[in-house]
Amino acid sequence: MRSTKKSVVVAGLAIAGLALGACGGGTGAGTAPGGTAGATGEEAKTIKLVAAEYSKDHTKAFWDAFAKTYNEKTGYTLEVQVVSWDNIDQQSSTMIQNNQAPDILNLNAYASYAKDGLLYDSDAVLPAVAKDDILDTFVKYGTYQGKFYGFPDLSSARAFFYNKTIFKQAGITAPPKTWAELEADAQKITALGGGKVGYALPLGPEEAQGEFSMWIFNNGGDWKTDGNWVINSDKNVQTLDFLKKLADEKVTQNNPARTNRADAFDLFKSGAAGMVVGFSPLAADLDKDKKVDYGVAPFPTMDGSESKTLGVTDYLMAFKKPGNEKAVKAFYNLYYTPDQVNTFIKAEGFLPVTESGVKYFSNEKALTVYLNTLPNAKLTPTDDPAWDKVKLAVQQNLGGAMNGSPKATLDGLQRTAESVG
Amino acid sequence: MSDSTTVTPDPAPAAGSGDQPSRMPSRTRRRRRAGRIGQVHPLVALLWLAPALALILGVVLYPAIKLFDASRGEYSITGLRKGDAGWDNYVNVLQHPDLGTVLRNTVVWVVAVVAITIVLSLALAQFLVKSFPGRRFVRWAVIIPWAASLVITSQLFVLLYDYNYGIINHVLLSLHVIGTPIDFLGDDSWTMFSMVVVGVFVSLPFTIFVFIAGLGAIPDDVMEAATVDGASPWQRYWNITLPLMRPALMIATVLNVIYVFNSFPIIYTLNDRNPGYAHDTTITFMYKLAFKSQEHDVGMSAAAGIFNVLLILVVVGIYLKIINWREETSR
Repeated sequence: MRSTKKSVVVAGLAIAGLALGACGGGTGAGTAPGGTAGATGEEAKTIKLVAAEYSKDHTKAFWDAFAKTYNEKTGYTLEVQVVSWDNIDQQSSTMIQNNQAPDILNLNAYASYAKDGLLYDSDAVLPAVAKDDILDTFVKYGTYQGKFYGFPDLSSARAFFYNKTIFKQAGITAPPKTWAELEADAQKITALGGGKVGYALPLGPEEAQGEFSMWIFNNGGDWKTDGNWVINSDKNVQTLDFLKKLADEKVTQNNPARTNRADAFDLFKSGAAGMVVGFSPLAADLDKDKKVDYGVAPFPTMDGSESKTLGVTDYLMAFKKPGNEKAVKAFYNLYYTPDQVNTFIKAEGFLPVTESGVKYFSNEKALTVYLNTLPNAKLTPTDDPAWDKVKLAVQQNLGGAMNGSPKATLDGLQRTAESVG
Repeated sequence: MSDSTTVTPDPAPAAGSGDQPSRMPSRTRRRRRAGRIGQVHPLVALLWLAPALALILGVVLYPAIKLFDASRGEYSITGLRKGDAGWDNYVNVLQHPDLGTVLRNTVVWVVAVVAITIVLSLALAQFLVKSFPGRRFVRWAVIIPWAASLVITSQLFVLLYDYNYGIINHVLLSLHVIGTPIDFLGDDSWTMFSMVVVGVFVSLPFTIFVFIAGLGAIPDDVMEAATVDGASPWQRYWNITLPLMRPALMIATVLNVIYVFNSFPIIYTLNDRNPGYAHDTTITFMYKLAFKSQEHDVGMSAAAGIFNVLLILVVVGIYLKIINWREETSR
């Protein structure tokens, strides 16, 4: 009888244990011993990085090598988890929900996290040398309420890609400088027939805000000016009207409202599209395929004035957790050494985020066109937490203008932006 | 352990377990009953059941409680819980402007996929029980869409349906059936149809095999008797095969309804280029609420999840009720 009772207790404990085990495992986030720093004041020896996967070949390889160097130089251990872009939003949200935030998270947004008080600012964890080296543009867009939280890991700048072979066939001698020229060129290319697409216009949910930013910036428009949302400004409505006109004239690919950026790139890579907005990773793919003879030029502006480009940067943000400051600071200290940050950027085919990086890449001819624009690139308002929601609203709604009214679409987005922040 | 199976009821049950006085009476009762049956001590039985119970508690009950808890919380876009929301998340889901569209899509999706699957499977199962050369091969081939991952199958169909390069458009254009390509996934009037085709494609194997088993269970002598009585093939099918297939039909319908209702990868993959909720069902709606839409709200998504569970319970409940009712009336 005694033994039976004992076994009952054991069984009970086993049930409890299994149930608890399932709790941890059922979150999808995995049970990470990363931040088990124990009581406040105790120093964390192991920190966890959740990194976004820029490419299958390079991202994991870089971070694994980085973790090894980090361990050798500092004595701390870095656990690396590489997550695909499709999942990272969901994974990071789940981790924070379950109080299992990583120490460092690599994402394309930071302001909402800063607003929720989850992050360290630069004073706490970013070495002064590194901060001074980061390009002013990125410091500006990484600053929320006077404090620098969004430390950039790499950047990209958009440029205008055109297919030289198609241009020759259509009798176009130079890339367009104005929108009127772009429209005329697109008409000539479409007139070639055989499924040729004048301008590949992706307004689908993947990156509608990126494509539209390029267009409004080159018409003197913006998302926000002087702290106020101006999404439905006259300039922006005029811009979207122009895009709708291109779609209606059928000089774009079929159904631009439902074309994602990846699909537009595929059209250009297969030699079907004459023009597209691209960035350096697209150039890398094109160089690898050697199928398309392409040129890169500044994006045409509405009136032929100086071209502006959209800069995009992702962030490595540091989560406040008891006792992890030193290890996190050591992480940034190492990451922003030219050897590390530039190796990563080079392997992934992106652009630098530091002054020393711009110098380092200055002799790469293929990157010149982007590097020249980088210090003056305009970014989307990533320093406003409201943008994190406005961006999603833009992705889900902008395409609707192709079958409806551009003005009404932008009015709706303006209302959304004003209501969230 | 083995000696405890022969143990007679303890005259002083629960001695030493005074820390749980409230549970004593029921334990005593259970022990006595077990003693009468004389098989295994209930506590030992509990031990054997422990892994299964743990699984149910950990994998079903605990997440359900967490889901309910999340649905009552107010969350930031980052996933940080900011406080309690009461029933606000539920109200927000019910007041969502696209809820009507989503519900209508769900009904169309489930009814169309399940109905077409059942009808096609009945025909195909009839074909596959006949013996013909290569039947084994065909039966294996039927399993393939079942064995392949849904995401892979969906991605394959995205390629097949593609506007510029898709083989379906290529074939239709070459045969001069159509003049310009069809935008199967981007044209609002085609999207649901294209998704239903994939839904049917992946639901067929399971349903066919359920029906093959059902057909195999029909005794030959009933058929012979009907033939002798002069029933036409159609009469035999309608009056004998189908009624005898009813258990198989019922199982196939209920399981398919649950399975198709909960289907996420097909709709998510085929519909990912379309903005808004025009072609979403309640399952992808729930996901988009949490991670893709401007709401980006875990709490609201959890509330939608609760509604989903209730919805499927109600639908299956109603279906089973109808089946029972028919059984009652047919006697």
